[in-house]
Amino acid sequence: MVCARRVTRTAVWLIILLQMTLVILLLGLGVGVLVGLLGIGGGVVLVPALVYLLHLDQHMAQGTSLFVLLPPVGVGALREYWKQGQVDLRAGVLCALGMLLGAYAGSFVALPLASRTLKALFGCFLMLAAILLWAKPRLDGSVSRRSEEQHHG
Amino acid sequence: MAEGAGRDAGIFASACVCGVASGMFGISGGALLVPLLGLLFAFTQHRAQGTSLVAVIPPTGILAVLAYSKEGFVSWRTGLLLIPGVFFGGIAGGALAKKIRPQRMRQIFAVILFLLGAVQAVFTR
Repeated sequence: MVCARRVTRTAVWLIILLQMTLVILLLGLGVGVLVGLLGIGGGVVLVPALVYLLHLDQHMAQGTSLFVLLPPVGVGALREYWKQGQVDLRAGVLCALGMLLGAYAGSFVALPLASRTLKALFGCFLMLAAILLWAKPRLDGSVSRRSEEQHHG
Repeated sequence: MAEGAGRDAGIFASACVCGVASGMFGISGGALLVPLLGLLFAFTQHRAQGTSLVAVIPPTGILAVLAYSKEGFVSWRTGLLLIPGVFFGGIAGGALAKKIRPQRMRQIFAVILFLLGAVQAVFTR
């Protein structure tokens, strides 16, 4: 009896663990598609997903997201862009340097904050990023049209 | 040449700003870098995205991760499970980006991001 119950409990526990693992793996895959599609690192989606789907604390979600982004997860996507000649290597290296220093400074701003304050700030940041993302296409259209005209003319 | 150096300095400064956001919010900074490269330095969308990917290849967040882990704010197990998915998803997304015009895709993403931000900003329990 007792033994059977223990087996059942272990089975349930295993299923939950498997389910969680599967959710996390799929979440990673979904975030990855966005990384390649939009040329972003994925943290903007990863952090809310960790907070709402896996119920991590805001600080914990941010720390984990930073850890996920440490290995070159975007290298496969970069290869696709490189083949098309859509990479400015000089600018990219400069950006990497700037972000290395900036990120260190930023973590010292975030760590002493209360989790709920940080969560609210993160929300405001997402809205700002969304507006910037939306604002881009119009200008992009005019620029690429202009460069096309230059090529033809 | 002076113009080139000025552009370099500008790009570096923008990246520093993105970096602060990266450390503050646990993101890679690319979400901010892509629009900034386009708006301030007239990169085309695909070029901005490709260049942003260069910037997120080196472990630019390493110092920030160390700072977070010192406070115990890193879930290593979850992180390790997420990495392979993000990697393979990235390849698929990169291949997909060549085929479709990402304009509409990005606008949809911007709307989702905005709503997500609003929810995070309002429901801060």
